[in-house]
Amino acid sequence: MAETGRLERAAPSAPLIGPVALLRTAIILAVLAIWEFLAHSGWLYRDVVPSLLSIGRAIVDLLTHTEYYYNLGVTAGEIGMALLIGGGSGLVVGLILGGNRFLSKAYEPYLYYLGPTPKIIFLPICIMWFGVDSPSKIGLGTLSCFFPIALNVAAGMRQIDRVLIRVGRSFRASTLQMVTKIYVPAMRHPIINGVRLGFGFALIGVLLAETRMSNKGVGFQIMQADSTFDMPHMYAMLIVLFVAAIGANALIGRLGGLQDIKRS
Amino acid sequence: MATGDAILSVDDIVVRFDTAEGPITAVDDVSFKVRPGEFLSVIGPSGCGKSTLFNVIGGLLSEHEGVVSVAGETIDGPHKSIGMVFQEESTFPWRTVTDNVAFPLELIGAPRDKRIERARHFIKLVGLDGFENRYPGELSGGMRQRVSLARTLASEPKILLMDEPFAALDEQTRLLLGDKVLQIQQSLKQTTLLITHNITEAVQMSDRILVMTYRPGRVKRIVDIDLPRPRSSEIVTSAAFGRYVAEIWNDLREEASRGMQDEESHVLHHQGAAP
Amino acid sequence: MSDAVISSTRRIPLSVGPRVVGIAGLVAALLLAEFLIQAGIVNRFIVPPPSAVIVALYRIIVSEDVFGRFLRTAGECLVAGVLLTLFGVVGGVVMHRFKLLQQACETWVAAMAAAPLVLLYPLFLVVFGRNIWTIIMMGLLSGLPPTILKTIEGMSATRKVLINVGRSFNLTATQQFWKILFPAALPTIFVGVRLGLIFALINVVGTEFLINYGGLGALITDLAERYDLAGTYAAICFVILVSVVFFLTLEKVERWLRPVD
Repeated sequence: MAETGRLERAAPSAPLIGPVALLRTAIILAVLAIWEFLAHSGWLYRDVVPSLLSIGRAIVDLLTHTEYYYNLGVTAGEIGMALLIGGGSGLVVGLILGGNRFLSKAYEPYLYYLGPTPKIIFLPICIMWFGVDSPSKIGLGTLSCFFPIALNVAAGMRQIDRVLIRVGRSFRASTLQMVTKIYVPAMRHPIINGVRLGFGFALIGVLLAETRMSNKGVGFQIMQADSTFDMPHMYAMLIVLFVAAIGANALIGRLGGLQDIKRS
Repeated sequence: MATGDAILSVDDIVVRFDTAEGPITAVDDVSFKVRPGEFLSVIGPSGCGKSTLFNVIGGLLSEHEGVVSVAGETIDGPHKSIGMVFQEESTFPWRTVTDNVAFPLELIGAPRDKRIERARHFIKLVGLDGFENRYPGELSGGMRQRVSLARTLASEPKILLMDEPFAALDEQTRLLLGDKVLQIQQSLKQTTLLITHNITEAVQMSDRILVMTYRPGRVKRIVDIDLPRPRSSEIVTSAAFGRYVAEIWNDLREEASRGMQDEESHVLHHQGAAP
Repeated sequence: MSDAVISSTRRIPLSVGPRVVGIAGLVAALLLAEFLIQAGIVNRFIVPPPSAVIVALYRIIVSEDVFGRFLRTAGECLVAGVLLTLFGVVGGVVMHRFKLLQQACETWVAAMAAAPLVLLYPLFLVVFGRNIWTIIMMGLLSGLPPTILKTIEGMSATRKVLINVGRSFNLTATQQFWKILFPAALPTIFVGVRLGLIFALINVVGTEFLINYGGLGALITDLAERYDLAGTYAAICFVILVSVVFFLTLEKVERWLRPVD
């Protein structure tokens, strides 16, 4: 009796177009319909809600011109450098704090409480120190991503199975070997999560800095569209940006999981 | 017993700790020698300091009085002649079986093909051939302990030091693995020091058994096990075996009940049961 | 036993020690900075000496109506906070109630939580204008996803046995909700609200800074544009201080709400 009940309940997930997919499609269509209605209704000022067609055209226009890719390259480079410097220093600081109870109690609270603060307000300082060009964006990005990575690595260190460390010591591994062959692999999950968060924060930091003061990069391009009231292009850039950001986030997460299977 | 050619010499070890309840002496004046090729078990009740002793001999605990020496050389930290197998799960979950076993060879910089070849040899020795590319997560607890054993053997230590490696396994797996360890030890003529609380295991595998008292841990007795070699798990049914077990249990019982009384009074005091 | 003994001994740790060392380190760093700048090794027109920053802090509090600006920012955060609590918790409850909706939309909300929503501010600037509503909307939008997600999580995690207790008393669905599900989910819901409030504060201040309108965030932009170096540093320190105090307070409240953990 119970067996057949279970079988019957299992069936609904089998069809390809399940109720979930239907609902999602319905929601998306409804949103798009309302949008298009608003766009043509004339209730809102001119192009605040542009027609879907014009947005579509703007996306195509954006992706087929080199200007966007140049700006994308600039921004990606800034984010990359920020992750490198902020992530690298976050890793080192996290390893030190995580490995030493005393230092952790002394200094980790500062990181913990300074973490959830708005970093964009440091932009004037970054500009004063590094100038108006890319280095100030990298500086802000670095500041943004340092904290989540350091905190995650420190927490990760404390969660490492202690016996693995004793194994390393019993084989007389050098400090470098301990770090590269034991600590870091044992912490791969917290590290990946930290990098994911760090990437997100570096992205935000760099882009916000670009919107405020720069003459290149994706953020700059968005503000250009803003100042010329070119709404279709602004929407286009925001859409592409969000798709890229969410995609990159998922990719990093996936890479973290895949790493486990790949290691042989 | 001739002690002249001891390969491991433990002399006057005393280990004291500061705990929240005041200083305690975990190990008090323990001395013994291990001969090359010998299988020596250290047995005692919980709380007798045998894991502390394990860490001292392995070089992971350096705050002690007394001296541990290997072939005449005093040790000062983990020594290359001593290989440790831990009680807890200690395989690296992110490495395959082969990469786990090859770990000590990787540390000394052996070239890749050499490492894999040696690792394969030891994987075969512990009976895990066929599982070279699996991850520890795919194996059973007993198999993972075998991987840990193979990993330590791969560093070819003069002395194998094991801390209750089978504690987490069920009785049958224990006996069979004990068989395996015996076979390996006998074929490699590996000097082995086994820390355990399991009398059957100790008698099955050892040439000598060192019985420890409850805290502070001292050497209560050293028993020579005169059972014929080579041995297998079948030996547990022999009469002589039974006599040895009874003899050692006699020694242990007293210590074990002292341990229980101590724990009970500890719980009482900390729950403020007394006015 | 010996593992625990080994790790907890060596010396009996004073919990006072680390904190003192932490503060001492901070003070030492400030003194070092003061020395380096006064000695001319570090350019004082890029980094003002800490002493000047402290003086400036006093000055801006007096002459820049910092308190008034603080109230302004706090007001914006309050509105955003109330709205995100309302919509976030209700949204989460609704999604939990209608499983299909949850299955369809939860991953979208999770994606939004990871997305750089604050980058929509140029858009909001156009739609709402350089206006308090842009600021409030940015706060609301960024605080909403974590609140919704945590509410769903809290409601889903109610132990089956508690639900069965309710059923055994023949409670109606409404009673079941108010007397069992919701109270049991409250601690997790509060975590979500706390996260939402933190995101809201960060984005409110950030947006104020970016559009140069509003309370404390705009103060920083003002001072920076006036090239008031020490004042800018002082204002930044003050804002950081405010967020830290806010964060600490939220933690205290959370601990008060769930003492057992």
